[in-house]
Amino acid sequence: MDQLLTNFIRALRNADVRISTAETLDAFSTVQLVGYRDRQLLKDSLALVLPKTPDEKATFETCFDQFFSFRERSASPPSNTLMHSGSSETADADGSQPGTADAGGSGESQGKRTGRGQGTGNTQPVRETASGAESLDSGEMSAARSPLGQLLTRANTIEINMAISAAGQQVNVQQIELFTQKGVYTRRILEAMGHAELQQEIFTLTTSDAIADRRLAQDLGRRRDWLRERVRDHVEHQFLLHADVTGRRLRESLLRNVRLSTLEQRHHRLLRDIVQRMARKLVAAYSRRRKVVRRGQLHVPRTLRRNLKYDDAIFDLQWKSVKTDQPKVFAICDVSGSVANYARFMLMFLYSLEEVLPKVRSFAFSSDLGEVSELFARNDIDDAIALALRQYGSGSTDYGQALADFRKLCLDELDKRSTVIILGDARNNYGDARTDVLKEIYDRARRVIWLNPEPRSLWNTGDSEMRHYSPYCHQVDECGTLTQLERVVSRLLLSQR
Amino acid sequence: MADIPNIAASVTSLKQHLEAHRYICSDQIATAVYLAYHLRKPVLIEGPPGVGKTELAKTTAEMFELPLIRLQCYEGLDEAKALYEWKYGKQLLYTQVLKQTLDEVLQGAKGFAESVKRLHEFGDIFFSEEFLEARPLLKALREERGCVLLIDEVDKSDHEFESLLLEILSDYQVSIPEIGTVKARHTPPLVFLTSNNTREISDALKRRCLHLYIPFPDIALEQRIVNARVPEIAPQLREQLVRFIHDLRELDLKKVPSISETIDWARTLLLLHADRLDSELVRNTMNVILKFQEDIESVQPELRNLTDKAVRS
Repeated sequence: MDQLLTNFIRALRNADVRISTAETLDAFSTVQLVGYRDRQLLKDSLALVLPKTPDEKATFETCFDQFFSFRERSASPPSNTLMHSGSSETADADGSQPGTADAGGSGESQGKRTGRGQGTGNTQPVRETASGAESLDSGEMSAARSPLGQLLTRANTIEINMAISAAGQQVNVQQIELFTQKGVYTRRILEAMGHAELQQEIFTLTTSDAIADRRLAQDLGRRRDWLRERVRDHVEHQFLLHADVTGRRLRESLLRNVRLSTLEQRHHRLLRDIVQRMARKLVAAYSRRRKVVRRGQLHVPRTLRRNLKYDDAIFDLQWKSVKTDQPKVFAICDVSGSVANYARFMLMFLYSLEEVLPKVRSFAFSSDLGEVSELFARNDIDDAIALALRQYGSGSTDYGQALADFRKLCLDELDKRSTVIILGDARNNYGDARTDVLKEIYDRARRVIWLNPEPRSLWNTGDSEMRHYSPYCHQVDECGTLTQLERVVSRLLLSQR
Repeated sequence: MADIPNIAASVTSLKQHLEAHRYICSDQIATAVYLAYHLRKPVLIEGPPGVGKTELAKTTAEMFELPLIRLQCYEGLDEAKALYEWKYGKQLLYTQVLKQTLDEVLQGAKGFAESVKRLHEFGDIFFSEEFLEARPLLKALREERGCVLLIDEVDKSDHEFESLLLEILSDYQVSIPEIGTVKARHTPPLVFLTSNNTREISDALKRRCLHLYIPFPDIALEQRIVNARVPEIAPQLREQLVRFIHDLRELDLKKVPSISETIDWARTLLLLHADRLDSELVRNTMNVILKFQEDIESVQPELRNLTDKAVRS
């Protein structure tokens, strides 16, 4: 199968574009139809077949440019001989004749240029300058002696490619993880191919008296530069395929399980991405609205219509049904210093779920409580969170006061469809816990969930009131990390079913 | 009759033909039609409202001179309305009429078993193609020359309906329990699905489709679109109004004006015999491009600035 396309798809998958096997097959038939010749057409076509959301399309765009740009560059060898075999590689990619690079006659080159395939037209200018640098007349040349030199003068692209990947295997280029390693691996591959020997040979040839030797030195120098480029591309390619992602995956999996309060500012962007991705996953899983049959209520018109076919003998009864209501969520967040960071991520999570949880109302407090839903409606999530923190974040925590405020604000609006989520460490500074208010909320709401960012072992120590609050909650959970947060939210969605 | 293979021979030719039918589009869009035709795959079109998603399907039908069969999706759409239904009325009527002939059929039948056997031969007629009321999806499959099937706003339909679509989208066939599988006659229909993204379309459906995202066009393209749709408008005014709309899209609005609003506005200005924008004119015609009072109010203070900018540059 077409290695190029498979590799590209792999790079895409690494960049988090979900591509199924069926879509891969589609991509193959697309490429068969449009070919590799017209780059823009190829890009437009694959953009229709592979990525299936606007987000994925953006990723696809960058991936495509990265992936195919240096391939194009690498197909431009320094001399005309190489040029010829270079074009055969493009033909190869087209699926016509692989491995027909003929490497004959390095001297009488000018005629060959016209015989080149159409496919590499874009790279023409590069080549012109390369051959324009020639100062010695082409003519007799002595033969290279170092193995790498010989390989290069034979100028069979396929052979060279094989040598490069063999050397790559030797130095384990697949294990590349960080972009800073690119240089190291490029050098190692070159060394493994006998670069030092070639350098030495070029050096001795340049100082030689015979013009044929000097001509060879210049030729080899050009070929060496081209080889370096080629190896760099190879490493780049490997990096794209293996590393970029492994590095990020690693970081992400660490971040998911680290306690949110210890995170530094610079991780916030990456975290936001993770949160959004988690949210998207949950949305996809739960966006299906279900019908619930209201038992006992006959849908008369539909019953009559359905039973026409039985000559009006009514025996296929139709019931009225309703769509399930989406849950109403009331999120009450402690935004005092100790818990603020957790509140940030929970709010971010809840508002990223807008599609499945359209009715989120959020409240923030440290001592006094106020509604912050408006802030989220007007600003984007980050700004809204910052504003909420500034507005309510100062002051010492007073859960009793906050619960009382909440009752005043919207106890009437709680009904059997509402879920109340309280996020806080329940450290009340030894104030009045007002469990009676929580009980009232508990009686009215469908569910009360208390999320405590502290590890379970610390609950009920010191001024923590967890022991008093938990009897009036349907569910008490620890949510110190993103993974725990995700679990809680997914259970929240599940319980609506 | 349109020479379809010839029109669809290349992306450029498709683009030209679409333009000839007054649908100005980017290469990406023409490529989508090209692939849809050659790979025989449905196209799922997404994008903000009013960028010409439905229009693309209509124009394609017009260009290929194929019938356009349109299925508008809504909540509660089911197979009886989308696929097929039995003609109950006709069945009943025929039963009444045939009651008399029933005696003849049964005449001479010996015993119960034979009567039932005779009735069986007779009864299958009621569930044959004769009594089948074809709804859009089935109709599309039965078109002799193929057709363009437009499944509009598929995001408005229920999840069950999406699953129902899977069979027709991947194999161009539907299964009817009483009859069997109905396959597309000769050429399978060209299918376009549009979605406004009010909810996520399921992966299974996306996998079977090409996915085309139509964004708002850039200034040059939008000018050409206006030119194609409202050719009478003065070039100067056209430039100004397209620039104005583009600046407007940058603002934080509840609903940003789309291409259809640009065209409506161009028509309005044409009616008013305007030849250039000024803030008074914009203020009076604002309600053509902005559909929410909230938006109109928020734009009001910026109006003079925006107009000056659009006129000057």
